[in-house]
Amino acid sequence: MRPILECQRLTKKYGSFFALSNLNVSLDRGQIVGLLGPNGSGKTTLIKLANGLLVPTDGHIMINGLAPGTATKKIVSYLPDRSFFSEHMKVKEILSYYSDFYKNFSTERAIKMLDTLEIDQNTRINALSKGTKEKVQLVLVMSRDADLYILDEPIGGVDPAARDYILQTILTNYNENATVLLSTHLISDIENVLDRVIFLQNGQLVFNETVDEIRTKYGKSVDTLFREVFKC
Amino acid sequence: MLGKLIKYDLKSFAKIFILLHAIYLLICFIARFFYMDRLNFENVTEPLVLSLVLFFSLMTLLLSALMIFTWMQVAFRFYRSLFSKEGYLSWTLPVSGPQHLWAKIISGYILMASDIIILAAGILLLVTGDNVTTAYSMIANDLTNELGFSIGTFALILFITCLVSAISSVIMIYFSVVIGQLFPSHRVLGAIAAYFITSTVIQILSVILMVVFRCFPGYETYTLQGSALTDYFLKLIAISTVLMLIITIAQYIATHYIMKRKINLL
Amino acid sequence: MPWNLDNDRPIYLQLMERIQHDIISGVYQPGDKLPSVRDLAVEAAVNPNTMQKALSELERCGLVHSQRTSGRFITDDTAMLKEMRTDLAQEHIRDFFKQMRKLGFSDEDTLEMITDTIKKGGLQ
Repeated sequence: MRPILECQRLTKKYGSFFALSNLNVSLDRGQIVGLLGPNGSGKTTLIKLANGLLVPTDGHIMINGLAPGTATKKIVSYLPDRSFFSEHMKVKEILSYYSDFYKNFSTERAIKMLDTLEIDQNTRINALSKGTKEKVQLVLVMSRDADLYILDEPIGGVDPAARDYILQTILTNYNENATVLLSTHLISDIENVLDRVIFLQNGQLVFNETVDEIRTKYGKSVDTLFREVFKC
Repeated sequence: MLGKLIKYDLKSFAKIFILLHAIYLLICFIARFFYMDRLNFENVTEPLVLSLVLFFSLMTLLLSALMIFTWMQVAFRFYRSLFSKEGYLSWTLPVSGPQHLWAKIISGYILMASDIIILAAGILLLVTGDNVTTAYSMIANDLTNELGFSIGTFALILFITCLVSAISSVIMIYFSVVIGQLFPSHRVLGAIAAYFITSTVIQILSVILMVVFRCFPGYETYTLQGSALTDYFLKLIAISTVLMLIITIAQYIATHYIMKRKINLL
Repeated sequence: MPWNLDNDRPIYLQLMERIQHDIISGVYQPGDKLPSVRDLAVEAAVNPNTMQKALSELERCGLVHSQRTSGRFITDDTAMLKEMRTDLAQEHIRDFFKQMRKLGFSDEDTLEMITDTIKKGGLQ
């Protein structure tokens, strides 16, 4: 089967700064992949390129063999690192917005998750706390039957209890053919749910290995290895 | 998809647009029945003229405010839904850049055209009282001779011109915003600069064209009368329409290209 | 409740040990059906593929076996389970004696202390 995500010599420059340089990496289906790296290592740039929010300076990025576009956006479910709601909308209006535009969105599943999290659908977005907004956003993203979930810092701003729920949500909602790519710097919290980790540094690939490979090879957790590799 | 995008645009415009325009129509309605209808044009006095001047100045102010507001609504919606944080959702919908552009052109035009139609309806309501039409009928012939066509025709031409040029205004707004996006660190400033530069270029081009086609307003134009004035007027409209058409098409092509290939959300 | 896992050893090994322990200690009875991979993964808060790997390894040891359509079952070979339980117990005992030696107790002393503790009801 074709890799769900493939980068060939992928390069992105902002002015004279290389956010990504000559990145070659590919992701198979059916995996949960951690995208790790210090701030400014190119994680968000890679994610935005995959979603067609940025245009590569050089090289290619392909989703299921296609350059990012209308066809790939149907199969990619993306959680950005910021709130993307228009503040005056109600939660339930956003639900219908999602089901209007995404054929693979399950309103039923979203409502079930919102109920579990005790989020009222009649609340306006601007009345929600920052953490609750993040939860609503994740619920929407995980309620799609996508082939590739791209989550940028999904557990950054929420409390530990919600963090557990979010990880559980990710584990229960993705199907065996789907791939989850999630970026974070809270590695120890999510290490156990990952198949594989990709380490980026200065826009280049440092590691691309499974968690158990790293533990067998180095006799230490990914978190510890990360701290050693990126020691300041 | 296009229909859905337009639906959500219109939904986001609706509340405040309808509210403001309902207030406007209410003002016109009240002014018609409690002010205009009570005027006596058979006996024109200085206070009457003064109050009319004051009233129509205020109305002009109100009309401009509403037009500017509608213009801003269109501009902000375009900017906010595609280039602010909301862009992260809009641009990850399974919709292409040009589809977004068309949805915005259509929804923006619907809003601007509705604005023009409602404003025109309000004015029509103000000036169609019996006392006004009777008073006008006394000077109608003189005015028609002077202008070359009746005031009704004149208003109709003006109305249609407004409706047509609204398309250009909408595209010009989007063009400016999109040009602003090419300057990542100064998006808004870039958009404003693009708007004023384009406006200036259009002004200069129209002056040049007017000189070339010998219809630059001058001493002669003030002495024009009747069919000569009509000809001058129609020529002016024709030239500006062609100019706007060319500029609008050029702006559309540029906007289309940028939205298809050059979008970088930071 | 996520399972408690160490940070430095491969996750699948730890999952194997945990399930093995649950089987031997009787949390799962011989012949019982195991929960699905996904349910186990969610319960443990680990990656489903890692859980899958742990179960496959257990299958290779003969502790569980899968029936094509109906899922995975604990072995009903009670003799084998008993043997494993004894093995595990012996491992714990050896570890314990090792610890006691480090504290300076001879094996005899340790044994004596154990009998004493039981007699005094100190384990209650």
